[in-house]
This record gives sequence, structure tokens and C-alpha cells, in this order.
Amino acid sequence: MPEPLSIALSVGIGYAVLYGYGRSNTAISAEADSAKRAVAELLESKERSQSLFGKKAALIADLKRLATEYADEDWDGYGAAALDPLSVWNAEEFIRALPDNLPMPEASPEPDGSVSLDWIRSHNQMFSVSVSKGNRLAYAWLDGTERGHSVVNFDGTTAPQRLIEDFRPLLNYASASIRLA
Amino acid sequence: MPQLPSGLPELVFDDEDLARFLTSSGHFNSTSIRPNAFLPNPKDGETSVFRHGAKPVKDLWKIGNSVITNSTLHGAAMIKAKEVRRAGLEIISAEPPPRHAAIRRWPMESDPNLMKARHKEIALLLASVAVKILK
Repeated sequence: MPEPLSIALSVGIGYAVLYGYGRSNTAISAEADSAKRAVAELLESKERSQSLFGKKAALIADLKRLATEYADEDWDGYGAAALDPLSVWNAEEFIRALPDNLPMPEASPEPDGSVSLDWIRSHNQMFSVSVSKGNRLAYAWLDGTERGHSVVNFDGTTAPQRLIEDFRPLLNYASASIRLA
Repeated sequence: MPQLPSGLPELVFDDEDLARFLTSSGHFNSTSIRPNAFLPNPKDGETSVFRHGAKPVKDLWKIGNSVITNSTLHGAAMIKAKEVRRAGLEIISAEPPPRHAAIRRWPMESDPNLMKARHKEIALLLASVAVKILK
């Protein structure tokens, strides 16, 4: 799927005309029906993209809040390091790279200054990624009695396939086709 | 058996309750304890806990308020000592302050990222069995 912004731009110019055409009841030919369906699909895609972009934007805004809130050392009273701005930056990149059909994680600080991105489905179904200032992601998961951990490289633009594959069973995405961004 | 200044035995028994004070809103969400609540301090490699159960809760917060002075006390994650040991870690008494204990022996790795991943897996395990009590 194209980026939300590019969809918005591509739709922008002829949007008003197409919208009116798509909603019109006067088109009776097969071509017109086909055009109507295409416009409807385009509108639906645009709305879906805006919704997804909104979720990612909200999470990124939350990250910026964390960067301010946890900018000082010992924010936990146990001697934690300040949240590293580079970790926050990398976490933003990782969030942007996440496939659109994944639910968004919750963000929180870690004692070593990294950002934790957690998907918590229940008390024994959790997936947690640690984003530090480097280009490697440490992650672990718990799924009932199954658990594990791993480390993958992150190039800043594409969500690591192995991480996504490890994530999929946890959220019963076995039947869903998770497309890598 | 040797006794500590607090009157507690030096040995932490398996069925003892341990409280990990939640000092950040990032340590928990509406339903669960987050794994970062249990991750060790990077400076000493330990997770600080206190040997006290959920009841009486007034006493629990009294301990919390006496030791958490630089941040907000949001609540506590309660966990049994045997769950800490089951996760492969060690729990030992570490007074002062009174009732303090330390979770130790977090696994070491030459690769810091791999070590972090292992720590996260253990922290997930601890978070999954911990009970959240909010102040």
C-alpha cells in the first residue's frame, strides 16, 4: 500500500470531482459502475490510511512526551539512565516501518535509556521490543508456556522480517497476510 | 538462623511476598505490569524489591514512601520469591534499608543486545506472574 501522504496527494487534485461522481446516481453504464467502484475503493483506502497514520502519529507524539518526561537520570528512583534521544529517534523510525496491519504497541522507558515498545494482549501474552541508540533491536515474547528472545538488525526503514514472524503467532495472525512495510 | 536488623530472617523463603515499587506510570498499564518494571538497574545489575506482602497495604505504602523519595510511588508489583527463583534468578536480603532485598544473577552476555533480549524474556516472565496493586 502507498504511504498515507502519497495517497492523500494522489487523491487531492481530482478528489472533489471524483467524490461527486462516485456518489452520483445518474451513472448507469457499466463503465460508470466500474468507475464508481474504483472511486469507492479509493475513498475507503484513503480513509483507512488516514486512520493508520493517525495511530502511528499518536504513538510518535507519545514518544515525544516520554522523551521530555524521562529526560533526567534516576527517573525511577532506582538509578535509571535518562531516556536517550537517539533511542527515541530510532523508535520513531521503527514505528513508521511497522506493517500497517499490526496493532500499535505501547511505549515506555527502560532503565538503560532505551525505549520499550510493548504489545500486551494479556498477562501471559506479551511481546516486547527494546529500541536503543544502536541499529539492533532486542526483543522477547511470552505466549502462554512458550517464550523466547532474539536480536535483529534494523535498517531504519523496513521492519525486520524475523521480528514480524516471531510476533505473528502471538496475536493469532497466522491466517493474516502481514505485508512488510 | 541469622536475623537482620528488621527482624526478618536473612534467608528469603520461597513463599515470601516481594514488592517491586512502581515508580513510573510507564511501569504498568490498565491491565498489566510492564516488563520494564522488573529490568535490572544498569549500574549494579540488580532489581530492588522489598520483603512485604500486599497486606496490610498501609504498611506497604509506609515502606514505599520511606524509600521512594525522588519519584512518585504509583503502586507495587507483588511477586513470590519462588517465581523469581523459577525464572533462574537469585533473591537475597540486602538491608539496609529495612526489608530490602535484591534480585540478582541476571544472565550475562558479551553481546549487550543479546543480554538485553534475555533480560527482557525474564522480565516478561516476572511481569506475567506479578500482581499489580495501585496506591
